[in-house]
Amino acid sequence: MLRAGFIGFGRMGITHFSIINAHPSVKIVAICDPSKSMKTILQKYLDVEIFSNYQEMIDKISLDFVVISTPTDSHSEIIKYTINKGLHTFSEKPFTLTATEGREILDQLHNKNLVNQIGYVNRFNEVFIETKRILDGGIIGEVKNFRSEMYGATVLKDPKTSWRGKRKTGGGCMYEFASHCIDLVVYLLGQPDKVIGSIMQRIYSSDAEDLVSSNFVYKNEYNGTIMANWSDETFRKPTNIVTIFGTQGKIVADKHAYKIFLKEPNHDNRFHKGWNTRYITDFGNSVRFYVRGNEFTRQLDYFVDCIEKGRTNNISSFAEAHKTDVVMEEIANDAYRIANE
Amino acid sequence: MEEKTQIDPIIFGDNQFFGINHMSESKAQQLAEKFRDLKAITDVIDIAYDCGINAFMLNTHERTMAICDHFRKNSARYSDLRLYASMPYAHKYASAVAEKGIFGALKDSIFSDSSTKDIFGMLTKGGSVIFDRDMVRVMQILIDIEMKIFRKLNVSVLFLQNIVTDLLLGFGVKKAFVEFASYIKEKYRVEPGFITMNMPRLVDFLLDCGIENPIVCSAINRAGYFMNPDSESYEKTLKEKRFRPIAMSILASGAVNPDEAVEYVCQKLKIKSIVFGASSKNHISETKQLIEKYY
Repeated sequence: MLRAGFIGFGRMGITHFSIINAHPSVKIVAICDPSKSMKTILQKYLDVEIFSNYQEMIDKISLDFVVISTPTDSHSEIIKYTINKGLHTFSEKPFTLTATEGREILDQLHNKNLVNQIGYVNRFNEVFIETKRILDGGIIGEVKNFRSEMYGATVLKDPKTSWRGKRKTGGGCMYEFASHCIDLVVYLLGQPDKVIGSIMQRIYSSDAEDLVSSNFVYKNEYNGTIMANWSDETFRKPTNIVTIFGTQGKIVADKHAYKIFLKEPNHDNRFHKGWNTRYITDFGNSVRFYVRGNEFTRQLDYFVDCIEKGRTNNISSFAEAHKTDVVMEEIANDAYRIANE
Repeated sequence: MEEKTQIDPIIFGDNQFFGINHMSESKAQQLAEKFRDLKAITDVIDIAYDCGINAFMLNTHERTMAICDHFRKNSARYSDLRLYASMPYAHKYASAVAEKGIFGALKDSIFSDSSTKDIFGMLTKGGSVIFDRDMVRVMQILIDIEMKIFRKLNVSVLFLQNIVTDLLLGFGVKKAFVEFASYIKEKYRVEPGFITMNMPRLVDFLLDCGIENPIVCSAINRAGYFMNPDSESYEKTLKEKRFRPIAMSILASGAVNPDEAVEYVCQKLKIKSIVFGASSKNHISETKQLIEKYY
């Protein structure tokens, strides 16, 4: 049995707890959260040790791994501690607030045999996994242009009381929301060489942006745009849409389905010439235990599996998430420069 | 209390009214536009009702109060109406949670309902709700607030929505399920039900909790869509465990053709209750006939 500790018990911490608590080879032994109310409730209903200080939890309790679901500005400090103590670490996205902190952690992680993963859940969505397979297989030819969009009705009034509404604590649309849409591009097409024409706009938030747009350039071979808006009430749930145009065809994907247009049929993949639509019901698989979506379970089961098999080359590793952090920092700098021109 | 063991064989679903489509955002948008006016919703309800469907699933969505007001105003027209209510509408709370955290969102929900006298017993001097002392009481108050939507209407079953059911199932806290079931049985004389994406695990857990012959609504379809961990476990549980299953998503968002879908659910699995949603008269009557053919 692997022994797990949880740091941070808000919305995401609770979801991760439910999924991992139902895992047959994990026992959750400790939870750390600063909220007094949460602590009292947990003590009353769960058979785990409760802490308000994560260092104390890690020092006192024997653990194999931790799950961190705290505000982003605390990730770096906590992760450095868990790595130092030799714990496999899963952390919510994004990785860190600055690229410098991320590099320090990657240096610290060097030569340590620790599984490390960031909760970029789209990397575990079966449609996006299939999209990557199609791209890597060259099925739509050479990529020329793309668009990655993300919309949702997450912020429809000023979130000033929450850390999610404050730039300093890692709030705002870019880190909290657009990071998924940017990471999806990093996952599918790699880290861009340059970002240009970035704009961050406010709609409701007084201390952060609600809308992010930018252009990614890849060694002048291809380019694309990203657009993320977390104040769009026309979407019931956060929605990612990726459109990629290649020399042999085009693919349009969201979490539930993809459409692929091909100039020539592809018999190996049973794609006709022209449009082909595939729904997740055609190729998706069930999960051991479902809470908020298959991908949430799949990412945590993958993390646990990596620990059990001693595999550290993780699909959503700190190193991968660091690329996304670097891109986000570049977008912010670019947007700042443009706004002050 | 007397146990109403008979679940309606055909229950009309409500997702389409609220622009919910699990497979396609553009279909969801089309539905939201089609059902923009209350009358468009009640027209479809009337078609179903006049087809002989008396049982309706209704989630505590923002628009449900208006639908229920319509039922109350026209009580003679809907004298045989039976509601299969479900709560909560989780998205309603999602942005509040994002903004104010879990406790902030709970507090807001409780305080926004000014007629909730019970909350005075839960205040500290500082005016905050004492979640620490009694989460069960907090749950009861939230149920009371949402049940007001259905006042004076005939509610047969009150379901806990899958997001909450499955989250709590993962926590494995039996008390939450036992208290939910006993509260609504005792206070509202309504049967408890549970919607889930993990039917086999939930059924075992509920039986373990001592909730006998539970009502469990889950996706059941030939595609295995939304059936976790797998179809085989579902078939085994249906065969071996004593519970009252209700099948939803039988068409797996269009992945299965209607005839095969109904045959699988009714004939192969011998399920006696199906939830389905539709928006046109033809589609409603065809699906109803199909279900009756295979029952």
